[in-house]
Amino acid sequence: MTSKSEWMKLDLQIDPDTQERLFFSEHEWNTIEAAASRIIPTDHDPGAREARAVVFIDRYLSGIDYVYAAADGSGFLQLAGAEADAARARNNTMKKLYREGLVELDTIAGRLGAADFVSADAALQDAVLVEISGSPKPGHVRLDEHEVFYSRLQGNTDQGKSFFETLCFHVRQGFYSDPVYGGNKDQVGWKVIGFPGPASLKDTMDGTYTTAPYFAQEWDWHELLLSYNPPAGDR
Amino acid sequence: MVKHFDHVDVVIVGLGAGGGPAAKVLAEAGYSVVGFDKGPWLRNKEHYSGDELKFQNRSYLWPDVDLMPRTVRSDENSESRIFNFSPVPSAVGGGTTHMAGWTPRPRPSDFIMRSLHGDIDGASLADWPYRYEHLEPYLTKVEWSYGISGLDGAEPGAGFRSRPFPSGPLGPTKFGLKFYEGCRKLGINAMPLPMSHLTERNELGRKAVNRTSFWNQYGDPTETRSTVATTYIPDALATGNFEVRADSFVKEVTVGRDGKATGVIYIDENGVEHEQRARVVVLALGAIESARLMLMSKSPLFPDGLANESGLVGKNATFHEYLFAVGLFDKEVTPALNGFTGNYQSGGSMHFYETDESRGHLGGGIIATTQIGQPINPILPGKPIWGDAAKDADRDYFLHSMKIGMILQDLPQETNRVDLDPDVKDRWGMPVARITNKPHANDTAMSKWQIDKNVEILEAAGAVRTMPVYLGEEFTGNACHQHGTVRMGTDPAKSVLNEWAQAHSVENLFVLDGSGFATALGVNPTLTIMAHSWRAADYIASTYLKGRSERLVLDPLTGSN
Repeated sequence: MTSKSEWMKLDLQIDPDTQERLFFSEHEWNTIEAAASRIIPTDHDPGAREARAVVFIDRYLSGIDYVYAAADGSGFLQLAGAEADAARARNNTMKKLYREGLVELDTIAGRLGAADFVSADAALQDAVLVEISGSPKPGHVRLDEHEVFYSRLQGNTDQGKSFFETLCFHVRQGFYSDPVYGGNKDQVGWKVIGFPGPASLKDTMDGTYTTAPYFAQEWDWHELLLSYNPPAGDR
Repeated sequence: MVKHFDHVDVVIVGLGAGGGPAAKVLAEAGYSVVGFDKGPWLRNKEHYSGDELKFQNRSYLWPDVDLMPRTVRSDENSESRIFNFSPVPSAVGGGTTHMAGWTPRPRPSDFIMRSLHGDIDGASLADWPYRYEHLEPYLTKVEWSYGISGLDGAEPGAGFRSRPFPSGPLGPTKFGLKFYEGCRKLGINAMPLPMSHLTERNELGRKAVNRTSFWNQYGDPTETRSTVATTYIPDALATGNFEVRADSFVKEVTVGRDGKATGVIYIDENGVEHEQRARVVVLALGAIESARLMLMSKSPLFPDGLANESGLVGKNATFHEYLFAVGLFDKEVTPALNGFTGNYQSGGSMHFYETDESRGHLGGGIIATTQIGQPINPILPGKPIWGDAAKDADRDYFLHSMKIGMILQDLPQETNRVDLDPDVKDRWGMPVARITNKPHANDTAMSKWQIDKNVEILEAAGAVRTMPVYLGEEFTGNACHQHGTVRMGTDPAKSVLNEWAQAHSVENLFVLDGSGFATALGVNPTLTIMAHSWRAADYIASTYLKGRSERLVLDPLTGSN
């Protein structure tokens, strides 16, 4: 069966504490973990290291077994047919992007005076990321700035980005995606920003999980709508 | 090729907002109907859940751009590039499976834009060959069978409505209340927009349990959202007259010596080609793919594509564009707005819908405040992507920002069009749709004026910083709305379809999606597409397939229109 509607489920679960590497070498694993720790650093709140973003990325890069969790989170979907072929081709492109990007991190670190990226201190690691990104380290969102933007496509795949943009995006996904994918361990990412996420994907399927308490609790349409309740002068 | 010579009465290509109502109406009228969709038949309760990564970032529902690419370019002289333009889920149910569910009605003015404004330089304004009053009974049928919620009497200036809503609206979110507050200060009537989901107390007896806030672009496992796959497809199947052929790509509409359509050729899940014959062929693939299929269906009688003697198939495309402004709030002062909550829109307005020439543009569109999104993908333009600044942006604004969007009503232009890409092929080896588009000056002016107004509303609501997101130099298709490519009209030299969405030159070919729309509307098109399809399917069932024909005669417009 090749139809998406018939894809089989593989009974795979990802242990966020695993040290078993499916794609990265040990050095690559350590390098990604170090870079992730600069992308979402640990401060008074947990960061990408505690969320186990490296596990999330390693599983994703390992092949096409971890692309889509089953709807209820009880395993992963086994892609088939043309979709599997397309996903495999994308995975190969992504593997190459990472392999080359990881070498570049060490190369730049070497040029800046460290043995490699992992052994550099935080300031030097940041300098490497600044160089590879081609931009200064991002500053804080400021309230006194005015900038205009132009529209873009909604949704956001990881295709067609540079290595560094891809890495930032994957670290973010590893910090905030459902824990079933191996990151966001114990929902630490969600807790950092106050997102009351579901205990499991299954809970989002049957009404068990609800965000109703975070909606407005009291309102009166007759007060909210001008058409129901014009301002005094207009009556 | 496997040939199916058993004639069915009707084949429908595309089982989304256009194909669904047609399947229901025709099957319920007793005709044998086969419906094709190139995508799979996913089941809500089995395949969907609140998985942000899967739905928002890994395209579980969106078309795979490597398998079903499109290309875009800004004019005839520029290079086209592969881009997932106007992506709509490739699945039984089509766009209704993922859409947030805005289902506002169009206004009477939408059908007579040329009569109201005359000829506009660079645009190809046209009146529709029918008017609001002809569609109204079908808007009501859809609202009461599909399941639409809304607040009766909330919209001053709305067209006549023959029945109230079958369900009240969902209550506001906290950011929704801010929107009402800002609008009220500026004298703008805000209201809960009609949505394709029900709430707890509804007249249809359906459950309404999804308060997960995993909503826009997610499939809904609870079936709280009304979709074609959960309403009209089951209705049609219940008659015993309807068959779904999913994972089946229709590559050609075949034509007989008499110039009538004879059926379709399709490729099944295993790559096997089949021919299916039928008395009537209904296209409802969406305005990009319906035009593409007509252009791919070349024959000696129609060398430029099916029913394309006028050369207009693919032209006058309109796409809307989703534009917005984001407001940031001070978390020390403002209680959490919880921008992740809700069933996408949480208050909107039709206040800026009708033309007011003092604004410097013609037409207008609907606006609404909508969810910021879930943790991976919250909308914050220009957000820092790494370091302390990135982490602080999430901590400071995930719960303390909101956005107000608009649906840009783009003017039709003959040069904005869909044709066949000469180089790029899809997974079935067929040429993909190439989109050529450039905004009209009126589109750019409307974007600027309305987004600046949305900024004012945010400021009135207490935002401490605002970020406008305007229309750029090309459309991105980010609204996933498509119209106009197979234009309806009364004159066969200036249109492809008549007032029943029936091809002028191929009497048993009907195109029942947004393709026929002469102008784009300033509202989301889905409700109109469904009502438009139902109306035409009624004509097919009760007139055309009975061997008769009818023409609609429009009364002259009077001042009160």
